[in-house]
Amino acid sequence: MALHVPKAPGMAQMLKEGARYFRGLEEAVYRNISACKQFAQTVRTAYGPNGMNKMVINHIEKLFVTNDAATIIKELEVEHPAAKLMILASQMQEQEIGDGTNFVIIFSGALLESAEDLLRMGLTPSEIVDGYELALEKALEILPTLTCYEIKDYRNETEVSKGIKTAIMSKQYGNEDFLTSLISRACVSILPEKTTFNVDNIRVCKILGSGVHNSQVVQGMVFKRNVEGDVTKKSQAKVAVYSCPLDITQTETKGTVLIKSADELMNFSRGEEQLLEEQIKSIAAAGTNVVVAGAKFGDMALHYINKYNMMAVRLNSKFDVRRLCKSVGATVLPRLTAPTREELGYADEVRVDEVGETSVVIFRLEGRESRISTIVIRGSTDNYMDDIERAVDDGVNTFKGITKDGRFVPGGGATEIELARQIASYGETLPGLEQYAVKRFATALESFVKILAENSGVKANDVLSKLYAAHEEGKKNFGFDVEGEGTSVGDVVQAGILDLYINKMWALKYATNAAGTILKVDQIIVAKRAGGPKPPNPSSVVPDDD
Amino acid sequence: MQPQIILLKEGTENSQGKSQLISNINACQAVVDAVRTTLGPRGMDKLIVDSNGKSTISNDGATIMKLLDIVHPAAKTLVDIAKSQDAEVGDGTTSVVLLAGEILKQIKPFVEEGVHPRIVIKSLRKASQLAIEKINALSVKIEQVNVEDHRQLLEKCASTALSSKLVSQQKGFFAKMVVDAVLLLDELLPLNMIGIKKVQGGALEDSLLVSGVAFKKTFSYAGFEMQPKKYNNPKIALLNIELELKAERDNAEIRVEKVEEYQKIVDAEWQILYNKLDLIHKSGAQVVLSKLPIGDVATQYFADRDMFCAGRVPEEDLRRTMKACGGAVMTTAHDLNDSVLGRCEYFEEKQIGGERYNIFTGCVNAKTCTIVLRGGAEQFLEETERSLHDAIMIVRRTIKNDAVVAGGGAIEMELSRHLRDYSRTIAGKEQLLIGAVAKALEVIPRQLSDNAGFDATNILNKLRQKHAQGSCWYGVDISREDIADNFEACVWEPAVIKINALTAASEAACLILSVDETIKNPKSGDGAPPAMGRGMGRPM
Repeated sequence: MALHVPKAPGMAQMLKEGARYFRGLEEAVYRNISACKQFAQTVRTAYGPNGMNKMVINHIEKLFVTNDAATIIKELEVEHPAAKLMILASQMQEQEIGDGTNFVIIFSGALLESAEDLLRMGLTPSEIVDGYELALEKALEILPTLTCYEIKDYRNETEVSKGIKTAIMSKQYGNEDFLTSLISRACVSILPEKTTFNVDNIRVCKILGSGVHNSQVVQGMVFKRNVEGDVTKKSQAKVAVYSCPLDITQTETKGTVLIKSADELMNFSRGEEQLLEEQIKSIAAAGTNVVVAGAKFGDMALHYINKYNMMAVRLNSKFDVRRLCKSVGATVLPRLTAPTREELGYADEVRVDEVGETSVVIFRLEGRESRISTIVIRGSTDNYMDDIERAVDDGVNTFKGITKDGRFVPGGGATEIELARQIASYGETLPGLEQYAVKRFATALESFVKILAENSGVKANDVLSKLYAAHEEGKKNFGFDVEGEGTSVGDVVQAGILDLYINKMWALKYATNAAGTILKVDQIIVAKRAGGPKPPNPSSVVPDDD
Repeated sequence: MQPQIILLKEGTENSQGKSQLISNINACQAVVDAVRTTLGPRGMDKLIVDSNGKSTISNDGATIMKLLDIVHPAAKTLVDIAKSQDAEVGDGTTSVVLLAGEILKQIKPFVEEGVHPRIVIKSLRKASQLAIEKINALSVKIEQVNVEDHRQLLEKCASTALSSKLVSQQKGFFAKMVVDAVLLLDELLPLNMIGIKKVQGGALEDSLLVSGVAFKKTFSYAGFEMQPKKYNNPKIALLNIELELKAERDNAEIRVEKVEEYQKIVDAEWQILYNKLDLIHKSGAQVVLSKLPIGDVATQYFADRDMFCAGRVPEEDLRRTMKACGGAVMTTAHDLNDSVLGRCEYFEEKQIGGERYNIFTGCVNAKTCTIVLRGGAEQFLEETERSLHDAIMIVRRTIKNDAVVAGGGAIEMELSRHLRDYSRTIAGKEQLLIGAVAKALEVIPRQLSDNAGFDATNILNKLRQKHAQGSCWYGVDISREDIADNFEACVWEPAVIKINALTAASEAACLILSVDETIKNPKSGDGAPPAMGRGMGRPM
């Protein structure tokens, strides 16, 4: 190690041996910048509808095929501290909006790249950061004026699908129309009257086989399992939900049953049977058709459930039980008691169906507003379905964004170019050194159009100049047209390519903040890792010596 | 000199760019080559020995792919589509892998020349959409007016599926059996209601279909010999009760104060058992089946009263018996009455090969059946079972959607022609790409001919000519080394197989083409040591 890193005499003495220490522009800032650039490069090609997928194999050998930046960075084990900062920013975006993660990484990467040039020109990092902050402020000021469309009635499926389409397009180009209609139908149908929209209420169920176009929305829930008992179909079902096992009640406390006489022994199991039958009978008497339990069904209990012609469904996940309750409006019963009228849930139909080769139990709720809906995704490979699931996820998150703020800005790079144009001219008006940084901010914004064009195999500079020309003429909604041949530009609003306003706003904020934080770092101290690769452990020494 | 920047964890493999895409395609090609020769009636089988030393002989694409244990991430996609085809239609697994591989192979030169993968993907999607529309337009709907005609149709589909399997010699025999079996089921057509039992020995033709339930005689206790083995119109009790002296409850404890009491307790245990047996006897059942063991005492008790019993019957057999004979599986003897007893016309314990089988026939609501397979080697029987499974799935699919197309490469040739014609009408790169898909579709008849040892080029030329003249059902005729109208020749396949195969193949191809970077993280846990060597550095 000592060969590579020159140690400052003062610092190195203070630190424990093995710790690494970098400082100054050369060692720390440029290094950070190039690490971040390299990282941004990885996700850069995944941006936009024509972005390429990445195959990521994580540490437990699970394969992901995706162009969703959030997934890629989650599965990558990034070591570099500065790159980690970018990831944090992007994760914030994921949590706040649920989409636009790639935007954050690319933009902060581009900002850092521009900063490198400025640093070499002799600006100090803090001047650059100040300039960026100024530019950001200006950008956020301009952004609302670019709003080109607003969804007011977010119960209208066609309006909503217009908004979601772009988000899906960047993930599943070619299937966007179909998926968008699925998602908007699912989202609108479960939109609650008063409370806010909960992303968790759109479930996704993946079943191997067939093709994407056979995916469907089911109002209610779909579980990939079969029923326990013999009854496979109930319509207008009253559903009782239990969190306990349906079996002869066992005591928690360890105890023995004390039998004193022969008669007691003779009647013991009969008594137990009768007790259970009574319980099941009372459940049936309350009008229950379907019994759902979060734990196991005993043989004996199942027997009586069959006898009283009820359907038995077992769910393994506690969360599933809770969601089902929400969906059918039932209360979970922790003990084996007869449910009251209020505790019973209702589903229009509960039945077993075969999708492909998989048996599924469907709790269908027609007509009435159900509070959970499930998108059944079909596809030919697991990875493909996983990727569609992520697209659906982004779409649902976009819908959530719409319910918060229905404003849209033009997509396809149009917003970025307009911002870049206005910020560049704003930069001219500034007196100080910030001018350079502000201008660079504008240049960084251009990178989106460049990437969109590059990913589609089109010359980036041609597109850029065409767009600038169009925007100078006042055509604010002109963006890169991915559908067209070659370097074509067009009105993206007419093409229905819209980006969520708050998505852009937060992404700009997070990216600038991340870039600022990284720039302000001028010293890196890496402590010696506990049990890390430094001390040669026997297992690695042996193969080395052979 | 700047020190190297460590962005990712050490040991992470990262490959990127066009070369990565090409290498993925090459990996898929290698996988396709493994199953290529199994296609069609003259396809060869593969013998695969897995890590446990168990050998499997099969020509079922999905089975082979599953056993191959592929680690290459891109090639795994092909395994997935084979599985998906298996799950959705149950047959055509080899075709789907072959098709995906061939599409990739035809596309490869374009990628090498620098066509952007996204453009390729767009064209692929378009091509598959066009092809599916064409299948839907071409497929012949067989109307279910006549039961006899419908049956004929099903048998043809089944025999087409079977003709590419190991049992193709007996396809007529098995096609009939499979159709009979499926038609016995109720409208949901549950697959698990068709039991397949394998008995070694005898010839394939000795296999039989039992329109009811058959299962291997279970382990029996003393007294079994005295029980009658044949009944006419028996009543059947299905139990989930252990008929044996046993502890009433695990954690129960008995305390007695007097010696007489002790004897009483012992008697009581016996009494409990006898009570149960009495109840069963009184219910009028003549055949008693239980999921749990039936002990000596019970066996002898039943033998004395002219009843038959079998304990430890596998759960699924018991369920099938219940479906066939009616009644319910009882967990307690107290509720036994006439309504929960099953009925059938004839029960018999029969010798089949070296084993004895319990057979229930003439069941009241026979929604289930059992196929007893006979044959030589164990692996041979297993392969026969897989073949029958495929055929059963085909018949089920055909019943659900009754559109058929001609097999033997006919539909693929027609689709290929259609796509090629279409491609000539458009300008731009799409023309070449759709043309490539059209070419890829020809792989099915080509491989069929290759596997049969014919001159594929010659056959394909003849086929192209026929299809250009408008005879859309011409395909490879394996028996005459020529081409023939396969619709006339009754080589039929359900349209849904082809639709699913095309969808899956194009989805897989798109997926593989859309990847331009692979990042492999080091395996957690034991994966660390090899990566360490570099990090440590000798210069220390």
